[in-house]
Amino acid sequence: MSLEKSTIIRKKDLSLLERLYIPEIVKGMTLTIRQMFTPTFTTQYPEERFQPPASFRGRPVLVEEHGVERCVACGLCSRVCPALAIEVQAGETELGKERYPEKFEINMIRCIFCGFCEEVCPEEAIIMSQEYELAFTNPQDALFGKDKLLVPIEKVQTRLDFLRSNR
Amino acid sequence: MPSVKVTIDGTQIEADSKRTIIEAAREHGIKIPHFCWHPKLSVSGNCRMCLVEIEKMPKLAIACSTQVAEGMVVHTKNDRVVHARNAVMEFFLINHPLDCPICDEAGECKLQDYTYKYSTGYSRFDEDKVHKPKRIQIGPHVMFDAERCILCSRCIRFCDEIAGVHQLQFIQRGDHTELTTFPGEKLDNPYSMNVVDICPVGALTNADFRFKARVWEMSFTDTICQGCARGCNIEVGVRNNEILRLTPRRNDDVNSSWMCDHGRLDTFKFVNAENRIKAPMIRKDGVLVEVGWDEAIARVASELKSFKKSEIAALGSPFATNEDNYVFQRFAKEVLGTKNIDFARHSHEGDEDAILIRADKSPNSTGAAEVGVVPGDNGMSFNAIIEGIREGKIKALYALEDDLAALPGVAEALSKLEFFVVHAANDSATLRYADIVFAAATYAEKNGTMVNFEQRVQRVRPAVTTLELDRAMDGFEMSRWDKFASHNDKWGKGPRRDARSSWKIVASIAALMGTKFKYNTADEVFNEIAQRVESFRGLSYLKVGTKGTPLKAKTAASVHA
Amino acid sequence: MNIIEPLIKIALVLLINLTTVAYLVYAERRVSAFIQNRVGPNRVGPMGLLQPVADIVKLFFKEDIVPTAANKFVHSLAPLISLIVALSTFAVIPFGNTIHLFGHDFKLMIADVNVGLLYLLALSSLGVYGITLSGWSSNNKYSLLGGLRSSAQMISYELSMGLSIIGVLMISSSLQLDKIVVHQGNYLMGFIPKWNIFLQPLGCITFVVAYFAETNRLPFDLPEAEPELVGGYHTEYSGMKFGLFFLAEYANMITASAVITTLYLGGWQFPFIENFGFSPLAVSLLQVAAFGVKIALVLLFFIIVRWTIPRFRYDQLMNIGWKVMLPLAILNIIITGFFILL
Repeated sequence: MSLEKSTIIRKKDLSLLERLYIPEIVKGMTLTIRQMFTPTFTTQYPEERFQPPASFRGRPVLVEEHGVERCVACGLCSRVCPALAIEVQAGETELGKERYPEKFEINMIRCIFCGFCEEVCPEEAIIMSQEYELAFTNPQDALFGKDKLLVPIEKVQTRLDFLRSNR
Repeated sequence: MPSVKVTIDGTQIEADSKRTIIEAAREHGIKIPHFCWHPKLSVSGNCRMCLVEIEKMPKLAIACSTQVAEGMVVHTKNDRVVHARNAVMEFFLINHPLDCPICDEAGECKLQDYTYKYSTGYSRFDEDKVHKPKRIQIGPHVMFDAERCILCSRCIRFCDEIAGVHQLQFIQRGDHTELTTFPGEKLDNPYSMNVVDICPVGALTNADFRFKARVWEMSFTDTICQGCARGCNIEVGVRNNEILRLTPRRNDDVNSSWMCDHGRLDTFKFVNAENRIKAPMIRKDGVLVEVGWDEAIARVASELKSFKKSEIAALGSPFATNEDNYVFQRFAKEVLGTKNIDFARHSHEGDEDAILIRADKSPNSTGAAEVGVVPGDNGMSFNAIIEGIREGKIKALYALEDDLAALPGVAEALSKLEFFVVHAANDSATLRYADIVFAAATYAEKNGTMVNFEQRVQRVRPAVTTLELDRAMDGFEMSRWDKFASHNDKWGKGPRRDARSSWKIVASIAALMGTKFKYNTADEVFNEIAQRVESFRGLSYLKVGTKGTPLKAKTAASVHA
Repeated sequence: MNIIEPLIKIALVLLINLTTVAYLVYAERRVSAFIQNRVGPNRVGPMGLLQPVADIVKLFFKEDIVPTAANKFVHSLAPLISLIVALSTFAVIPFGNTIHLFGHDFKLMIADVNVGLLYLLALSSLGVYGITLSGWSSNNKYSLLGGLRSSAQMISYELSMGLSIIGVLMISSSLQLDKIVVHQGNYLMGFIPKWNIFLQPLGCITFVVAYFAETNRLPFDLPEAEPELVGGYHTEYSGMKFGLFFLAEYANMITASAVITTLYLGGWQFPFIENFGFSPLAVSLLQVAAFGVKIALVLLFFIIVRWTIPRFRYDQLMNIGWKVMLPLAILNIIITGFFILL
């Protein structure tokens, strides 16, 4: 953009009342004062908790079905993750799916909650939960292994339904 | 050779009249999709993927079995061809399972790639797929999944034509056709794992590499196999600073497109092994104790000075690079002043074949001799040195990385030495006799060259980092993980050993003994070899390139002493 | 000369003033929160009423950083100047009528200076020294710019402020604030309190605007304009030194409210109180209360203005100061003179 074009554009057709400025200030103050008596939006956090809608992208979790994870350790989530938060090591299992994640680790410090992992997953095994309370006092605590990631399917049914309905 | 003019996709090319269309197109950079055709195998023509339109021919023809002819006009991308390809792909995908997430081939799968490139993108098939056995151990090193097989017969042809054993066969008919071995037999020829590489889908997979990593997670470094004197060109797949697999790299002058199972499985595990030497060690009170580099180097320098020149012997190594051996022989001749210099041979007579495997089990015996690791005038050869140790004539021995104690009769001789320095990457029987051990970098941790039995110089490139090397700074191949790992990511931190290239260790000892070798990098050593050794004259790492180059002239130096 | 009486008054005024400052901060945060449909501080104590205490404790525990390149003496002096000036202006403000207690007459102001108005003008101009000096001594470009802006702003608005007051002066013919307040005790046409705001609407507006500029409150807070100057003059201040600036800003607000009340809103005058027949003592106390209520309302006005009007651009600031405010203030004098002559 050239300098000439970037000059300030002033509205020239202000009425006298507007140019006096004082009435405009009064108008503005009326608005702010009126706002003082409208209800607040604040959620009193530790006591009141936000219940996210199904479309909410909380921390990613692994779906556990019939006692085992759905995940087959294909590594697509790990590949698609723009923040490189996911590390998967596959192993062989006797189950029909042949392959399972021996290690599945999400570095929650790296995670940006974009939901790409959920989108790319061919097994609907990793999904975004409604959990958002993630604070750590130690970087090591932010490494979520399978123990923290596995969640029984009943607990994430709303999200699964949401994903199905929006496919 | 009569040549003919052919027009492919509007470009006129000139090709040998013996060529098929697919070969002629490939030579001129036009890619025709194919599954069953392989440049090193006979033409089978069963996959129909390479269908092209040839003007004046009523039907589409397969490019892999149609020879070029004068004035032929070929279309590989027009609507008719695309339509036919879509149909072929649709047929392939009818019974192909949706196994990509659990399939090791994913990421380097021809079917996967072609599905993206040449298929319609959706399936019209509602019926049940044909089910076949999965997870079959078809050979000691190969897993087989019959459902994934697209029946291209590449593996059958490989066994018949290259490995020379008819071990695989199709049975049944139609979409129930299945690949199998003869009853009671296994796919167990010494080249069996090449079928994994040529399999265009994930039907035949590497049992050793099974589920270890996805291919896109690894970095691939061009280097050469250490299994024998053939020096097969290979790619080293590394993830998290750990070698996970080796695959052959095509080089028609050396290994065609193949490598043996021994080379593929047994020549990389020691790099990741638990018994790696982690730091220099000095024997104190009968036990090897880890010490700093400076201490070990100073100790060697002072000890070596206390022996007479004729009491010292030096053994280079056919497992070390030319650079290591060259600097080592300079050190032996100029600094130690000994003429007793040679290296041990590792020839297993009889353990060889007419395909790739050589009896000489060391990758660089030719190179070691070429760069001067040979006895000087009236100097002792290897056997004489061992004999000399036994008789007490030789009191001090300096050896590069080689498990000498494993050779018959040598261990007993080593125990008689007064002073024994050895470079080693892994713990071995030899270390029991060593007074000082230097942690040597393996072939996967250093730059260098090796000369194969056909006098071909080839490059060895680092794929695994040691403490002194840095993936980004030292020009390593980098995977995505390597590029973006930060200091607090666990996956960025594979084990790194405190090992150094042998030539560097030798040069630091020489410096302490009064002779400065002015090398900073391996290619500086190679440049000096290129100046001083006649057969290497004029060569450089650039000229050696990724596929190697033959030595200039064969010198008098004999390969087999 | 009785020394105890002024000392008690000083202690009382200081105590009330500082407590008010603390709760003014709280009020400002609460009011702004309500304007923005939030709740504001509500965690420390009931309704968050102990928030100011927490704030002050926090400020005391913070590290006091003095930049290496700063002029350390002036750097420490500047916040003191700001605060002292802000507080001492209150000395001449009458916060009630003369009260008769224990057989004595007490004047409800600390110092009955006969040039009270001049004293007031003088001190409010001194306040800018604190800011300018802090800006200079920090040895930081942002601080310096903030300090410079402050002095330029002071020069531009001091003029129209002084001229605005002349109108009041002409009406009440006194520089003594006490007398100015007493003068506002009558009624216009029998039912409108004879406050200067009704006699001098134009002067009142110019005075209030100019005083806003003097206190560096939004929309005139250019010396600490965050988008351009980081923290402005107090960029390099931390801990309780920053706290002093903070105190000074709010103490200035209270002083400003008191001055505006005194000059234009009838000071401690409680209209029509004489009609209810209270005892003289009760009347006096009610008048003090009236003064307090008026100050509170002006403070609320200050706060609402802050959260309503965006900051002026620097050129707008100067334009308004010289091309609008000054002519208006002079016009006000002419009109007043015209009416007095009539």
